[in-house]
Amino acid sequence: MSELALIIEDDEDLANIFAEALRGVGFEVEHVADGKIAQERLKSGRAPFLVLLDMHLPHVSGGQLLTQIKQDERFANTMVIITTADARMGEAYVNQADFVLIKPISFVQLRDLTSRLKPKDQS
Amino acid sequence: MKMLFERFMAISTADPDDTRRRRILNILLVSIGILSLLALAASLAAIFLEVQRWENVKLLIIGSIVTVLGMLIIYLINIFWSGRVAATIFLVFLTLVFAFGDTPEQVSDGRSLFAFAIPIIMASILLAPWLSFVFGTMSGVIVSVIAVSIDRVPNIPAIAGFFVIALVSWLSAGNLEQALKELRDINLNLDKVVVERTQALAESLARERIEAGRNQAILNSIADGVIVFDRNWNAILANPAVRSMLEISRDQVAGKNFRELIQQPGLSPHGRDLLSAMMEHETQPPSFRIEWNGKTLSVSAAQVYDMRNDINVNIGTVAVFRDFTREAELEKLKSTFVAIVSHELRTPLNAILGYSEMFKETVYGPMNEKQVNMADRIMKNTKRLLGLINDLLDQAQMEAGKLTIQMGPVKPAELLETLHGLMDKTAADKNLTLTSEIDPNLPDTINGDAARLQQILVNLVNNAVKFTEQGSIRVRLWRPKENKWGIVISDTGDGIPPSEIPYIFETFRQVDGAATRLHGGFGLGLSIVKQLVHMMNGEIEVESVLGEGSTFMITLPLVIPEKVAVRRS
Repeated sequence: MSELALIIEDDEDLANIFAEALRGVGFEVEHVADGKIAQERLKSGRAPFLVLLDMHLPHVSGGQLLTQIKQDERFANTMVIITTADARMGEAYVNQADFVLIKPISFVQLRDLTSRLKPKDQS
Repeated sequence: MKMLFERFMAISTADPDDTRRRRILNILLVSIGILSLLALAASLAAIFLEVQRWENVKLLIIGSIVTVLGMLIIYLINIFWSGRVAATIFLVFLTLVFAFGDTPEQVSDGRSLFAFAIPIIMASILLAPWLSFVFGTMSGVIVSVIAVSIDRVPNIPAIAGFFVIALVSWLSAGNLEQALKELRDINLNLDKVVVERTQALAESLARERIEAGRNQAILNSIADGVIVFDRNWNAILANPAVRSMLEISRDQVAGKNFRELIQQPGLSPHGRDLLSAMMEHETQPPSFRIEWNGKTLSVSAAQVYDMRNDINVNIGTVAVFRDFTREAELEKLKSTFVAIVSHELRTPLNAILGYSEMFKETVYGPMNEKQVNMADRIMKNTKRLLGLINDLLDQAQMEAGKLTIQMGPVKPAELLETLHGLMDKTAADKNLTLTSEIDPNLPDTINGDAARLQQILVNLVNNAVKFTEQGSIRVRLWRPKENKWGIVISDTGDGIPPSEIPYIFETFRQVDGAATRLHGGFGLGLSIVKQLVHMMNGEIEVESVLGEGSTFMITLPLVIPEKVAVRRS
């Protein structure tokens, strides 16, 4: 079973592109478009290998979700990539997340980054 | 009593000399009149007491009555008509009294001779100095005639004596009059000076009052709030605008110290800090904003210097308050609008960028070369739009004063590493090489705003790539001085015409309209760079040779973070 990547992103197109990049690298992709739903999702279910977390979400902010992830032991090995359009906000979270990507995020950039992160189980 | 006497003696005339003479004459007349009255009274008492008989004192009584009446007449002439006439009559009368008041023997050559000196001296005082000679001559003639009438030789030495007395009288009276005249002139001059000075003082006071009134009117009518503080920060003036702006009464501000004023409950703590800082800084503080009773006020302060005697003396401070509430609201709205719009624009552009990349990367299967090329064009145009939006957002933030410099430790090597990561591909796409070097003298870690420095580097390299068709772009970080560090970016591009160099940092302008179409882009990048450099207290310069290339040079203050400095020493 391949690693799970959870995309928390309210923009459908961006989520689509991110999913395509991650699938291209070999991740199994799960997408949540709402902060509140993401909060519920993180309470149970399979722990993702990677979370692509948008900071600007409906109902519950990315910052709150990040805190939730960091406090949950099940996610001790989960990598968090923050995606935000606000460079200052990105800087503020740089120490709490594994990576911070400032929007616009390039398909190639995301694909190359995640491909490096993914364990090389095939070879 | 004294007043009655003064009134009795009073003379109304404009000539001070005449006044003086007539007053002296009056005193003489009154004295003689009183003496005559006393003599009359004594004679009458003697007859009444039968000490003397009428025959013996008859002459004295008649003489006294005549004298009193004579004095009265002369007095009236002196008071109501002419001092000269009165004095002349008086002196002639006196001379005649002396001439016939004694035996001819005594008058011509005896005790009465000396009495003639009296009218001679008086003539010089009561009439005119030279008239002493007239009375001298008259006395001489009278004495001579009397002497001849009793067959005697006139006493020539005595007559000569009259002339000597006349001469002395003439000299002293003349001198006295001269001295008095000079004194009067001095007094007159003094009076004139006093009058002039008084008038000048009154005029300048009036002018000052008008000036002060005008200044007050100006202060009262301007919409900005103005408080003037003396050098000890006590409020000495506050216009009505500032009182209504700060919602304080006249008593709450007049004479109050600045420290007291900023304890007003309506002032936000942050505003209080800013105002205290303003007071403590002796140098010219810039303007800043405070919150007061829910209003946003812009405050600027200017020191007032007295330039007198070429020495600058600080005599106080003028603080100007401007109601900025509406502007602040508009600015907030504007920046919120810009933030929302840029976010809303960036998200779909990010999607377009992603999808075109996916085409280019043939995620959904192979495409022909033209299709890949088209996807590439979509990508590039999208990037251009995204760049433009970023620039606009930065510009808007800078205009709103929201873009701030946040200093922290920066590693120059990392700046270049990130720059290569971001720009190598862009340069390579145009077959340009991007090279960089670091001066070994530059410390490994320096103080700066990493994000903004990165933005400056990216903007300048982007700009260089845009205007260079072949060759290279070189980036150099160095240390031109002990306390400065610099960024130098050179390209082998078209160069900038000298006439255009002054304008390249302007907002919304690009050299030569044709270049815009050829290279694309928007004239905000360099303007933002310049503004950022200035915010970092740095300088930016450009040198360019047409057809050979351009070099942008930035010089920034070099501050080594303390921790690093300690570790090194």
